[in-house]
Amino acid sequence: MTITNEPGAQVAVPTDLVNVTIDGVEMQVPKGTLVIRAAELIGIEIPRFCDHPLLDPVAACRACLIEVDGMPKPQPACAQMVAEGMNVHTQHSSQVAAEAQAGVMEFLLVNHPLDCPVCDKGGECPLQNQAMSVGRPETRFTEEKRTFPKPINVSAQILLDRERCVSCARCTRFAEQIAGDPMIELLERGAQQQVGTADDEPFDSYFSGNTIQICPVGALTSADYRFRSRPFDLVSVPTTCEHCASGCSLRTDYRRGVVTRRLAWDDPEVNEEWNCDKGRFAFRYQSHGRINAPLVRENGELRVASWPEALATAAGIFEAARGNAGVLVGGRSTVEDAYAYSVMARAVLATDDIDFRVRAMSDEEAGFLAAVVAGSPVTTTYGSLENAPLVLLVDIEPEDESPIVFLRLRKAARGGTRVVTVASHLTTGSEKMNAELVACAPGDEVRALTELSADIRTALAVPGAVIMVGERAAAVPGAFTAVADLAKSTGAALVWVPRRAGERSALDAGALAGLLPGGRPLTDATAREEVARIWGISADRLPQPGRSGRALLENAARGDYAALLIGGVEVDDLRDADLLRAALESETSVVAISTHHNEVTAAADVVFPSGVVTEKSGTFLDWEGRPRPFGQVFHEALTTSDAGVISAIAEVMDATVEGSVTGIRGQIGALGPWRGARTTRTAVAAQPAAAGVRLATWRQLLDLGLMQSDEPHLAATARPTVARMSAATAAANGITEIATLTGPAGAISLPVEITEMVPDVVWVPMNSEGSRIYRDLGLGFGDVVQISAGGRP
Amino acid sequence: MPEMPQVVRGFGVTFNTIFKKVVTEQYPEDSTKYPPKPRFHGRHQLNRWADGLEKCIGCELCAWACPADAIFVEGAENSETERFSPGERYGRVYQINYVRCIFCGLCIEACPTRALTMTNEFELADNNRADLIYEKKDLLAPMLPGMLAPPHPMVPGTTDTDYYAGKITGAVPEQLIEQELLDEEVSEVTS
Amino acid sequence: MTLTPVITEHWNDPTLYTLDGYRSHGGYRALATALKSDPDAVIATVKDSGLRGRGGAGFPTGLKWSFVPQNDGKPHYLVVNADESEPGACKDIPIMMANPHALVEGVIITSFAIRANHAFIYIRGEVPNAIRKVAFAVEQARAAGLIGKNILGSGFDLEIVVHSGAGAYICGEETALLDSLEGYRGQPRLKPPFPAVAGLYASPTVINNVETIANIPYIIDRGVDWFRQFGTEKSPGFKVFAVSGHVNRPGIYEAPLGITMRELLEYAGGMRGGVDVKFWLPGGSSVPMLTAEHLDIPMTYEDMAAAGTMLGTGTPMVFDSTVSVVKAVTRWLEFYKHESCGKCTPCREGTYWITGVLEKFEHGHGSQEEVETLTHLCNQIAGRSFCALGDAAATPYPAALKYFRDEFDAATHTPVDETFDPRASYVFAEAAAR
Repeated sequence: MTITNEPGAQVAVPTDLVNVTIDGVEMQVPKGTLVIRAAELIGIEIPRFCDHPLLDPVAACRACLIEVDGMPKPQPACAQMVAEGMNVHTQHSSQVAAEAQAGVMEFLLVNHPLDCPVCDKGGECPLQNQAMSVGRPETRFTEEKRTFPKPINVSAQILLDRERCVSCARCTRFAEQIAGDPMIELLERGAQQQVGTADDEPFDSYFSGNTIQICPVGALTSADYRFRSRPFDLVSVPTTCEHCASGCSLRTDYRRGVVTRRLAWDDPEVNEEWNCDKGRFAFRYQSHGRINAPLVRENGELRVASWPEALATAAGIFEAARGNAGVLVGGRSTVEDAYAYSVMARAVLATDDIDFRVRAMSDEEAGFLAAVVAGSPVTTTYGSLENAPLVLLVDIEPEDESPIVFLRLRKAARGGTRVVTVASHLTTGSEKMNAELVACAPGDEVRALTELSADIRTALAVPGAVIMVGERAAAVPGAFTAVADLAKSTGAALVWVPRRAGERSALDAGALAGLLPGGRPLTDATAREEVARIWGISADRLPQPGRSGRALLENAARGDYAALLIGGVEVDDLRDADLLRAALESETSVVAISTHHNEVTAAADVVFPSGVVTEKSGTFLDWEGRPRPFGQVFHEALTTSDAGVISAIAEVMDATVEGSVTGIRGQIGALGPWRGARTTRTAVAAQPAAAGVRLATWRQLLDLGLMQSDEPHLAATARPTVARMSAATAAANGITEIATLTGPAGAISLPVEITEMVPDVVWVPMNSEGSRIYRDLGLGFGDVVQISAGGRP
Repeated sequence: MPEMPQVVRGFGVTFNTIFKKVVTEQYPEDSTKYPPKPRFHGRHQLNRWADGLEKCIGCELCAWACPADAIFVEGAENSETERFSPGERYGRVYQINYVRCIFCGLCIEACPTRALTMTNEFELADNNRADLIYEKKDLLAPMLPGMLAPPHPMVPGTTDTDYYAGKITGAVPEQLIEQELLDEEVSEVTS
Repeated sequence: MTLTPVITEHWNDPTLYTLDGYRSHGGYRALATALKSDPDAVIATVKDSGLRGRGGAGFPTGLKWSFVPQNDGKPHYLVVNADESEPGACKDIPIMMANPHALVEGVIITSFAIRANHAFIYIRGEVPNAIRKVAFAVEQARAAGLIGKNILGSGFDLEIVVHSGAGAYICGEETALLDSLEGYRGQPRLKPPFPAVAGLYASPTVINNVETIANIPYIIDRGVDWFRQFGTEKSPGFKVFAVSGHVNRPGIYEAPLGITMRELLEYAGGMRGGVDVKFWLPGGSSVPMLTAEHLDIPMTYEDMAAAGTMLGTGTPMVFDSTVSVVKAVTRWLEFYKHESCGKCTPCREGTYWITGVLEKFEHGHGSQEEVETLTHLCNQIAGRSFCALGDAAATPYPAALKYFRDEFDAATHTPVDETFDPRASYVFAEAAAR
């Protein structure tokens, strides 16, 4: 049973209880409880296939038949609600129930192939387990089994063995009820009943992998994992997903040092039992293209070096750069790693020029994050979304940018929550959340928010209402100010939902200029005192507020820093990639700590390898601010974490930076939450919208992201790259089928999909095949773009 | 009568033994003369179907049954152009570590396709551990007359069920021709 | 007992299917009466009449109507189940073809009673003639102001939609019919909620059989006492019996409930060639079979239940001794296997399995062990499937085994076609012999 327990909230004691007796055990359960759930509470397991606690009952498989006094026929426990005075007999106390269950078990095996040895589910299969425990030792069925031609692709990733299917409809119900992508459905009838898709419409759902996990037989398998191993030789480790800020609990299964698959782990407070396909299938990047050993530049070329040599070289660079260094952390670090960068910058390099944002960013955003988000306790949670009367989305597309938030919002919307999105158009994701659109061209968010209808404003004032703002708002001057003002004036809860898993972690670890760990202002004497004590230095040695964002990059581009310490940063992810490129080409010494080879490591003077999530332990903070700790999968890994590298460099420099996860957690724990005054945000006025066609864009869930590399099956389920614009905009520019977008860096041509949206706006994916906006156009969200008809996509 | 000296008595034993049947087995010079018993648990063998396709489906049940953790298997999918076994799956990697193997035969019982059986071969000594890990190529049964070395398609018009039912009696020329055609297609695509 | 043609009274009038033809025999008089009274009074009348559902289950119609919650703010719907697909049943389709206005009038009165402004007639897709006749009747009634806004000045509005199914047996199951009507695959729904509370489009819905609805105008027009003079206390009224099989004059005989099969056989001209009745089924293949010794049992809901069977659709199928019961049961099971919707395991897999075993028996390859296995399998379906289709599929074999075990024993070694010459049982046997 899925029990939701809100942190801090009092556990609600149900008042509406009914008395029910199961197998002679008298108990009280809340009214409306299903018999199968009530039985679980006293440890009685009733067999089931179609039943799933998060799906509506269907009572199709009939495996859970039980006897209820006063009812002439056996009843399905998965659909039968308890009633006052009900006396239930399960298979343990009723011959009728036991025989009914055994009969269904026998029937299920009639048309099920005996291919357990080659079936991926063999070894972890509910049907196999039940056949072993209650099935007949010998079959009475001697007729021909129904067969189908071997597996068919319901999508590039999902394969279906129709003959193994027991028609429990878990997958189709998941697709319809949870994901809102009813692209698979049961077809045909009788024994020929099978799961299928419409012609030429594959099951390209972002959540399709969950169907494999909930399939009670081996009917659904993934192209990725098919035949790669058997469940019994896998070692399972609970982990946290590193892809986005949703913070899913995962189970990582590996064999002989190689991850073979990842599954969603049950965390009722966060991801329930689901995750997205990116989190499930994109993990091969962990083993490909890795940096294996430290590298040092000699005569202009990088060469492999010993750790002591590389550490000494880096230490030498940093010794010379004390007080004049910049630190870029990247958005994918754990709290512990970001904390080490934070300490390294302030306590060793004596600089406050540090930032973690590798995307569009602004000073307004930094101010907002420091004042509103950093170090704030977990108050608005997934549970709050589910119970919210209204959720207002500003510059965020949850289905693409935080898929589990999307699932929870969809669940909330099905339960009556009103979802309102401030965007250029209603996406399919918005439609699945039954969202209302506050139409707004990119850049006009401030006006849209100030002109919100009285109706929405009133609803926002109802306790429980939530405003969610995405990282894209950083590209719109005044947007964060407007959002914060709106929250203040209505009393609605305000949450910032970043895209990357490490953004909130880095923010709370203080990896932003002007900010010490836990949201402590660098200018606050008490905060400085607290932090300096933990770091073992005197408070005067902490630097004065430095640069972040564009200022930092500009300074770097001028070559004004003596050294740069750069974590996992992909140059093209920056809106101002040219600035960083200039810095890499300048005389500034660069020390890079990275898992993979990239543009930064290619230009660095010293490169240290660091571990991916399977090779280290750590913590991510999800968008709620909830710590999502994870353990090390591969203890024999030869890499160390970023913190470990930093600590080793500091040691050579005769300084102390804690490098172990436990040590850093201890320091963060000792610091405790910040109770003093927070920084105040400075209001930024909106800028008048520029004339012309404006660009709306965000990263789709499945795109050219580096952590999705080497996943051909996953990539094949990505959405096609199209440009969206309204019919009027297309007509005004003479565009019919193909549009060419032109920016300062170049032009791209994409097929056009006419969409009902704000005029004079064109939407394109930000980082998909044929549409890498920063690199190809040199433009970002809200910028004016030239559009014309024609071109070759 | 004086007692016979001990030494003479000792030679008496030797002398008598000259006329007894020799029990010494001249191993290894004359090993064929003394074969092990027919059901002796010796080195494993991965069998083939009559047309040369491998019986192993890479299910790993042998590895799971092994009490000594001596077997390592990795399955893979037969592709349209490269078929090693009937059906969908074959054993891509198959290793038995004879340093660990205790020759108990549980793996043989576990095998659902009778792919794995044991031979009488017992000369499994070596001077290093690495060479005692037998790979699939070391374990596969030899090609008999009428067999065709995989990869090649199944006998035309048959399914994996026919193989399991023992209906295949040997390779047919079409299999070779088909495989050659497939190889040509592959080389065209890749070139 | 004499025949009492009511619905079938004027079927020899070739114009009966038209509005004028129907009116010339007193049609739409009941509608005027009903619309002048209170809807609750109509429900009360039908309740008092004791009319029971003619679709098979025999649920009291008035009671079903009274389950519809009133003043709940939701739209109400009437759905007429005209998806007559039961093997052997052929009564609704003739009614729709010969006397469609009785159905339309019944629909209007029923909709008025249950406060429905939308009614649907779901007709099986394989009978385009019936669909055309009903659609034509609805068209004529609409043109005459009997359907539409403010019917006969009563202030009551009604729209009737004639919907064609696609010929799935399962869509005769009321909730599957609703799914099909809503545009989904026809598969039964989980109950509760029952259709009376949340049926079509999650609104209160009454689902009635064609014959049930066609009875309504006559009950309203001629009164409860008239209706109750036919039949028995528990099964009042008359019934359209469609007699089929090895009788000389198969066809439709409308008679009071309580008539015996022997009497119906007489009306139907007796058995073909004077051969004995071997077995017969009172109402479609889904009810257990009876034999010649049951011919004198009154055809009522209660008496049939007492004899271990059901009145069902009231469409007796009669088989003479040329028929192999093994073969008949096999054909029925093949039908259920083909029509099982696939939703629940017992029905989906059970019908598949039983059919396979029965087909072996048909060819003389059965075994004594399998005779018992089949009984066991039927028990594993009956009462455990999702809807009544599974129960129906589990019905023929146990009944057949009860009376004709020897034939199943024989089928363990001899193909049934050797024991029973199939040509002898053909309806056109004589022609075949020539």
